[in-house]
Amino acid sequence: MRQILAALTTALALLAGAPAVAAEIDTGHLKAELVSQARGVAPGQTIHVALRQKIQKGWHTYWRNAGDSGEPTAIAWTLPPGWKASDFVWPAPQRQPTGPLMNYGYSGEVLLPMALTAPADARTGEAVALKATASFLVCEQVCVPEQAELTLNLTVTANPAPEDPAWGRKIAAVLTAAPRPVGLDAVFARQGEGLKLAITGAPLKGAEDADAYFFPFDGTAIDHAKPQAIERGPEGLTLTIAPGVAFHAPKPPEQLAGVLVADGRAFEIDAKAGAPPASASGLGAPRSTASSAGFGLGAAAVFAFLGGIVLNLMPCVFPVLAMKATSLARHADEHRAARAQGVAFLAGVLATFLALAGALIAIRAGGAAVGWGFQLQSPPIVAGLCLLMLGVALNLSGVFELGQSLQGAGQGFASRGGMFGAFFTGALAVVVAAPCTAPFMGPAMGWALIQSAPVALAVFAALGLGFAAPFTLAAFAPGLLSRLPKPGPWMETFRRLMAFPMYAAAAWLAWVLAAQSGQAGLARVLAAAVGLALAAWLFGRWQRAQGQDRRPVISTAIAGVVLALSLATALAPGYAAPAGAEGSAGRADAPYEPWSAARLAAARAEGRPVFVNFTAAWCVSCQVNERVALSTDKVAKALAATNAVYLKGDWTRKDAVIEAELAKHGRAGVPLYLVYGAHGGEGVILPQLLTADMVVRALGAAKDR
Amino acid sequence: MSLSRRYVLSTAFVLGIAPALAVAPAAHAAPAIGQPAPGFSAVDAEGRTRSLAEFKGRIVVLEWHNEGCPYVKKHYGSGAMQSLQKSATAGGVVWLTVISSAPHTQGYLAGEAAKGWKAKYGASSTALLLDPAGKVGHAYDARTTPHMYVVDKAGKLAYMGGIDDKPVADPASLKGAKNYVTAALADLKAGRPVATPVTKAYGCSVKYAS
Repeated sequence: MRQILAALTTALALLAGAPAVAAEIDTGHLKAELVSQARGVAPGQTIHVALRQKIQKGWHTYWRNAGDSGEPTAIAWTLPPGWKASDFVWPAPQRQPTGPLMNYGYSGEVLLPMALTAPADARTGEAVALKATASFLVCEQVCVPEQAELTLNLTVTANPAPEDPAWGRKIAAVLTAAPRPVGLDAVFARQGEGLKLAITGAPLKGAEDADAYFFPFDGTAIDHAKPQAIERGPEGLTLTIAPGVAFHAPKPPEQLAGVLVADGRAFEIDAKAGAPPASASGLGAPRSTASSAGFGLGAAAVFAFLGGIVLNLMPCVFPVLAMKATSLARHADEHRAARAQGVAFLAGVLATFLALAGALIAIRAGGAAVGWGFQLQSPPIVAGLCLLMLGVALNLSGVFELGQSLQGAGQGFASRGGMFGAFFTGALAVVVAAPCTAPFMGPAMGWALIQSAPVALAVFAALGLGFAAPFTLAAFAPGLLSRLPKPGPWMETFRRLMAFPMYAAAAWLAWVLAAQSGQAGLARVLAAAVGLALAAWLFGRWQRAQGQDRRPVISTAIAGVVLALSLATALAPGYAAPAGAEGSAGRADAPYEPWSAARLAAARAEGRPVFVNFTAAWCVSCQVNERVALSTDKVAKALAATNAVYLKGDWTRKDAVIEAELAKHGRAGVPLYLVYGAHGGEGVILPQLLTADMVVRALGAAKDR
Repeated sequence: MSLSRRYVLSTAFVLGIAPALAVAPAAHAAPAIGQPAPGFSAVDAEGRTRSLAEFKGRIVVLEWHNEGCPYVKKHYGSGAMQSLQKSATAGGVVWLTVISSAPHTQGYLAGEAAKGWKAKYGASSTALLLDPAGKVGHAYDARTTPHMYVVDKAGKLAYMGGIDDKPVADPASLKGAKNYVTAALADLKAGRPVATPVTKAYGCSVKYAS
């Protein structure tokens, strides 16, 4: 009977709709009240209630560690006998910088939950008034201590009561998001002036951690106002933090507890003194949001376009385009034909760029780590390009002819052969230009490759447009064409002259191959080159003989066989890796060590500045920078004077680790120059075209940074 | 006008002050216990220029002050700070109360208001130093009001941090609090090293110009 009565009272109380309501108190700069997760509490049951603060705009209250100033919100309960309330379950705080200070707290609406336990002998049906005094320090520019006398009216129910419609879910959400220990391993160690806090564990594996931050429970543990440098590792991350007053005491802390916020999640950690594990570092700072996020499609396209224009001047490209330009000059009076050539060239350039980009995107989508310039990481392709350059050079030297001699006299300039020739020239120009990652192009392509495929293709198309622009515009502008020198015997001389940059390009590619595959690879490509030259000569002989109505079938056959043999020699896979690690890097006066994430971390741990050079033999701008800046005495002296470590990452052959490091800095190719300061922090990216002074200045700054 | 001025100021902050703050640690090291206390000179409420060098050979207490701050009010409203000042100065200690509040911020005092401060609160400070540009405050890395520093007779920093071990604004907390400045002065008088040389300062943020 009594039970039925109790149930009835409970039901009535629930129907009344106000089982767990407290008056909202306005304390001046915030409104406070006590709210409950459930509409009642059963005897012996534990439910969650919360102190709700609705803080005036621009004002804030504080976390359990208020930071440099301020005071945590506090609550003092006056509970009937047997009732128990826990401390606050603090949600992760916000950082609130105030001038040179840093505070931790909350703004807007905040719920501070507490566990509330009813005594086992609580009388069912009884309405209990739970009283508490909440004290807040509310601050904007100035601080005001405010207090609220709060009451929470709860009904004791026979069974666990249903969720409160207004607050149940909100309190549950706060409890779910609140930082809790999840078994993360955390250790800390003093290192120089800093404090290294290394945190590892499954929840942090592979996290980006761009905004990772440690909020200590103890206000004396760290210098709140100083930035926390983030370094990621395969299993977690390492924060470099400025220690607080506790570490200046005779007996420094042996424990460092607090909340780690990373990737929008919050974890409670309890760090012990100890050596940070290697797995908590080595992957560098999080991908800089500044370098990639600040880059829009528009800017990337503009940079790509400019980069494309600059590519025209690269030594391996210029002869090809110069020859094409002379052909325009020869037909300056045939505007329509010239335009057709321009369009065909543009089409060839765009088609090849998009094909290369498409292949690159497809390979990356397949999970392989390749970046721009990947086509030159394969020795057979380098050997093939070397022969191609040689072939073009021999053609320019007049050893054999293409097109012209086969076309009868009077055949039009805009013949299908001519159109095809322009298209082919465009394609060839792109293939030989790809390694010369010109200035402007690195960031644009790095950005492009981490975007969606259509955006990436748009950027590559912009690059192609820039690359084709000078020639195509010349073809479309009769005024420009008429400025070109009048055709004449000089053109033959110019043609012979232009052969030599192409020989140089072939020689350079042979050198790249030597760096990739050593002497054996070099021998193979040289043998193939001699074979190609022989075949070209025989072919040319056959062409000339045609004019005299003779058919030296045997020598033509021999030419074909020799050509096939040399191509097979060059293109067959199975190039060996070079003996020893010296490779691509070429002459370098300053002593350097090979780059590895571990070596980088070790050097930084010693508190030394680090200069990192990501390079490749086939990268022309890398080689130019080596010559004019990095291998100068000035730089060598600056490296010694600043006690800097010089690390070189060689990307001449495919390397997934270097690829990942490039990607982390928003790049898809080399060169990439990084300078790390002696006192931690992120690496600074230097421009892609260096001067010795630039490097010296950067090292000087890194020493004190 | 006011909008454009604000814009100019905030731009100046971003362009000039923010980088300056970023390099601040390298530019001048934070004050450290046992190291010479940062030298300074500042104008006092009477318009005289005072400097740390002037008090060579004497123990100097620096107290960061903001009369509007609840934590400062806790110590002045109860008379606790005044009696601490009185006993310290009576024992030959120099007590400098410093206001680093920028103009138009809480606690800023100038002119007659500054002159009348001592009488208004019955303070026994040797001088009230006016530091509206925050030069002295930044030199000492003063963060809160109150933030306390004790310089020994050799001019070296002997204590820095909070005034006591009860970091709350409630005046009731004064009862039973351990006053770190009293303890540091006693240690110095007795020729002992200061037992607790560094604590965390508590209170309101110093209202620096920004």
